[in-house]
Amino acid sequence: MKSNGNGLLVYAIVYLAFLYAPIFLLPLFAFNDATIIAFPLRGFTTGWFKAMADDGVLKGAVLNSLIVASSTAVLSTTLAIFAARASTRFDFKGKGAIMGLIMMPLVLPEIVMAMAILVVFLQVFGDILGLFTIILGHTLVCTPFAIAILSAAFQSLDKSLEEAAYDLGENKFSTFRLIILPLVLPGVVSALLISFTISMDEFILANFLGGQTPTLPVYIYSQLRFPKAIPVIMAVATCLVAVSICLLIIAEYFRRRGVAKTGGKDTGGFL
Amino acid sequence: MTQRPMIELKDVHKYYGDYHALRGINADIKAGEFFSLLGPSGCGKTTLLRTIAGFEDITSGVVMIDAKHMEGVPANKRPTNMVFQSYAIFPHLTVAQNVGFGLRRDPRSQAEKDKAVAEALEMVGLKGFGARAAHALSGGQRQRVALARALILKPKVLLLDEPLSALDKKLRENMQVELIKLQRQVGITFILVTHDQEEALVMSDRIAVMFEGEIAQLDDPETLYRLPKSRKVADFIGHMNFLPAAIHGEANGEIEVEVLGLGRCHISDKQAPGAVSGGEASIGFRPETLTILYEGQAATDRETTGKVEEVVYYGDMTYYDVKLDGVADPVRISMRNVPGRPVLERGASTRVAWSASALVLFR
Ligand SMILES: Nc1ncnc2c1ncn2[C@@H]1O[C@H](COP(=O)(O)OP(=O)(O)OP(=O)(O)O)[C@@H](O)[C@H]1O
Ligand SMILES: [Mg+2]
Repeated sequence: MKSNGNGLLVYAIVYLAFLYAPIFLLPLFAFNDATIIAFPLRGFTTGWFKAMADDGVLKGAVLNSLIVASSTAVLSTTLAIFAARASTRFDFKGKGAIMGLIMMPLVLPEIVMAMAILVVFLQVFGDILGLFTIILGHTLVCTPFAIAILSAAFQSLDKSLEEAAYDLGENKFSTFRLIILPLVLPGVVSALLISFTISMDEFILANFLGGQTPTLPVYIYSQLRFPKAIPVIMAVATCLVAVSICLLIIAEYFRRRGVAKTGGKDTGGFL
Repeated sequence: MTQRPMIELKDVHKYYGDYHALRGINADIKAGEFFSLLGPSGCGKTTLLRTIAGFEDITSGVVMIDAKHMEGVPANKRPTNMVFQSYAIFPHLTVAQNVGFGLRRDPRSQAEKDKAVAEALEMVGLKGFGARAAHALSGGQRQRVALARALILKPKVLLLDEPLSALDKKLRENMQVELIKLQRQVGITFILVTHDQEEALVMSDRIAVMFEGEIAQLDDPETLYRLPKSRKVADFIGHMNFLPAAIHGEANGEIEVEVLGLGRCHISDKQAPGAVSGGEASIGFRPETLTILYEGQAATDRETTGKVEEVVYYGDMTYYDVKLDGVADPVRISMRNVPGRPVLERGASTRVAWSASALVLFR
């Protein structure tokens, strides 16, 4: 019994080390005063961060990514609210098939979607590739995730809450605004954050559909060819890790607040 | 002068797909009445209530509320309010916001609305609870908030779907009394759904007993208890003993019956309230209408003999299962326990007093 438990502990430690050790290495090299990514460390510098801040193309890429990710988050969450509400509250013909097709991008290889969309865009619309087309592609990918989160939120709503509001004189729309939306708000926030994160680090679609407009992942990938640029990339990655941790904390805060406010049981969040 | 009923249901049918949930409901519910829908699970009580509230469309028939046709009138435009079984308290709002929810479109000033909310809270015994978070209330408190929230709109009809079923026994009994008081105070027509026959008897002016989408009997509690129209109704409300009987003639409002184990007797035709079904006749009587006679006690009317098969002691009452001479199945007799009166042992022989006036004939 005892030795068995130890084995599992070792396994858990190895697993976590494999997962997180590389991420801890990022800031190490980002502050290391050397162009080569190797031990031993040389000395402390913030030079790479300065270089990062001075890089105009990089800033452009970050801005592109922010625009794409926020637009995608808002767009896919909005669409997901409609879809999740419809699928949990109403029965309609072909519901299973429609929902199945909407959720398909979850399992469809992205490269397939990227090529298909690219061909259609180029053939039908000419050369319109840019931020807008990336946003469209990302929305396609993010919406199923948002639906998965929001369906759970809508599902856990007691139907009689809506009926009570309606019974008390509200119409369908005001019931949605006053009762349903506030109660699924934690789900909406989660959906926004997840869509934002997925869009932020998505590479394949962004690379195919972006034309000459690089997002951050596309830019980073392009820079990896130049060994000199790698410490700067390490600095960028360090910033990304910091931002991710912040987002995670915000998401968890909203989730807990939602749970506390409605007096539900804390069942552990999506994040 | 006859007043128009508050609610008129005329041949109401409801189908869920192929399932015939309401099978021709006819009932008039008077203004200011405490009316109950009583029946076993799945008989269509909730469906009928939701039909009145406007949450379900009916397949055919007429629903009139306060002399107005309700066809095409949605739930938010009907003069009814509902207390849901789950209470449906809005968890993200305070108690006061919950109670005042229905006043949002009310043209009165905020101060007047606040006053109305405070009054409603006081009425249900939750004075000073307004600022509390609604999700932090106990079951009984939620129920009160739900009541206040519905009553603040002064509906013509208050619909309650098993409002007490989630409460424990003590609290339930207290709330029953409170609900009756509240109903008398506000004078609003209450329609209560319950599957608890005791609750229905205690609270209602009239009760509709439903089976399988139909009203089997609609009467005041006493009539329902004393003169059930069918064995099914009799069985559902309290306990009733049945003995096989043979009808030997009917004349001048009297029926002569031969009852197995009791003998031949005359009963009034009022004691046969049900329709003639053509099946085998039987006589029913409640456990408390028979009396176990103690040594030397004389019967006031008729008497027979039997043997005690089972004794169940309840404190204030004792239930005896007694096998009457000549009858295979024992009948249940309930006796109030009074000082000086011994509780019989199992296997004891006993005399049993009965009266023809307490019998009900099913034929
Ligand atoms: N939306 C629905 N779709 C299909 N069938 C339904 C629907 N609602 C109710 N039914 C059926 O109609 C019948 C009556 O249901 P209803 O809820 O009115 O029963 P009830 O008397 O309130 O029972 P309970 O005491 O269990 O609440 C049940 O057999 C139920 O399965
Ligand atoms: Mg029900």
